Amino acid sequence: MKLYDLGHVPWLDSQLIYHALPRANEEGLILLAPAEPYVCIGFHQDAEQEVDLDLCRARHIPVFRREVGGGAVFLDGRQLFYQLVLSRDHPLAQGDKTALYRRLLEPVAETYRQLGVEANYRPVNDIVTQEGRKIAGTGAAEIANSLVLVGNVIFDFDYQTMVQVLRVPDEKYRDKVFKSMQENLTTLQRELGQTPDWDYVTGLLTRNYEAVLGPLTPGTLSQAVLDTVETLRQTHTTEEWLLDRKRPARAGRRVKVSTTAAVVRNVYKARGGLIRATLEISADRLAAIELSGDFFFYPSDGVAKLEQCLTGLALAEIPQAVRAFYAEGLIDSPGIAPDDLIAALSSGAK
Amino acid sequence: MEIGGYQFPDELYYDKEHNWARVDGDQATIGVTDFAQAIAGEIVFAETPRVGRSIESGNPFMSMESGKWVGRIKAILSGQIDEANEEIEFDSTIINQSPYGDGWLAKITLNNPAEVDGLYHADNADFQAFILAEKEKYGK
Repeated sequence: MKLYDLGHVPWLDSQLIYHALPRANEEGLILLAPAEPYVCIGFHQDAEQEVDLDLCRARHIPVFRREVGGGAVFLDGRQLFYQLVLSRDHPLAQGDKTALYRRLLEPVAETYRQLGVEANYRPVNDIVTQEGRKIAGTGAAEIANSLVLVGNVIFDFDYQTMVQVLRVPDEKYRDKVFKSMQENLTTLQRELGQTPDWDYVTGLLTRNYEAVLGPLTPGTLSQAVLDTVETLRQTHTTEEWLLDRKRPARAGRRVKVSTTAAVVRNVYKARGGLIRATLEISADRLAAIELSGDFFFYPSDGVAKLEQCLTGLALAEIPQAVRAFYAEGLIDSPGIAPDDLIAALSSGAK
Repeated sequence: MEIGGYQFPDELYYDKEHNWARVDGDQATIGVTDFAQAIAGEIVFAETPRVGRSIESGNPFMSMESGKWVGRIKAILSGQIDEANEEIEFDSTIINQSPYGDGWLAKITLNNPAEVDGLYHADNADFQAFILAEKEKYGK
């Protein structure tokens, strides 16, 4: 398989090349970094909901929609990107998502360990330190007839700019996101007290990927890939490509059981994840509640305590109770503000 | 009927991309199978296809995301989309919960009803062997 060790490239090329390889029916491992910083959003994200586009324009920070999943992220030249393109028929591209991530992210985890950071793969798609802090971004997509896995080795990270480019309801909330990010995302600089030599890291990563992929031959991008990059430069930089994905803001699903009782299932997409609320309503009171989703609450029994706190309340008392619960400092929920929970609860309870 | 622990309703047609079709004359409702939702895991986003769009058998016409993984859904039959299930964009997990019911993806008018002849019913031995092989491949 070909290895494209491209060093620092123009920011847009750091995305377009791995989008082009599958379309040109080529496989390869790409190692590169963007020469300029930019914001990159996930394929299904609503750019206007996720990113402060006005601020990005004012600060000349480009915003790009990738075809890979996941969330908005601030990327710059202090992150080494690994981008693996495998044919769907490749033996290593077989199996379920967890098995694939485990197989193809292990070389990255091993690289961190060789650098002195005890990091391990954590299902489904994370690489975390022993303390549980995330130390690499990852994502995947099926593009043309290929599987594409991308991620980054984070030498250092600009937490401040990251939280500035995100669209958040207020500055207090932004502070919480900043603190949460510092707590839950780490870097080589923070773990080692210094950043290792770039070429040394690319060498380790290459060798570790060779152990999984077989021999990697240094190569230059084919004319077919370069031509495809130029085509994508037109299609993937338009306003339509960036903005044409609106997330619906919808009220909850309500099943009326009797004139005074109903079961409501509501789903609310907050920055910190999807909140699912199932409410059993009786005589305008919350008879039972179940909260779930892909968000994080600290401490881990926070959700149960919140459910307990809300059960039995009149529907009109819920917003105040949620705010009071947060005000007592009993809970920390990165990316989930009290208003998110109130929206998840109240919209279904109307 | 059940194949390898997964449900495959008898009346539906299936392809080998883990899609199903409920065919009624030149109309069809399409979706992904119980096995497809199982290998996807919790689906966090599904892109609703645009009504009026033409789709071609074997070509991707929409995407789904789970675990930061964007997967493409290939059309089981060719036709024009008359209706898209907007509920799946609101709560994509209904595809996990009810792949043959509330989690349907689109309703289409078929361009070429004869394409149905190339699909399988769940009692087809070749199709059953395929699902069992896929189960082994995905470790499910």
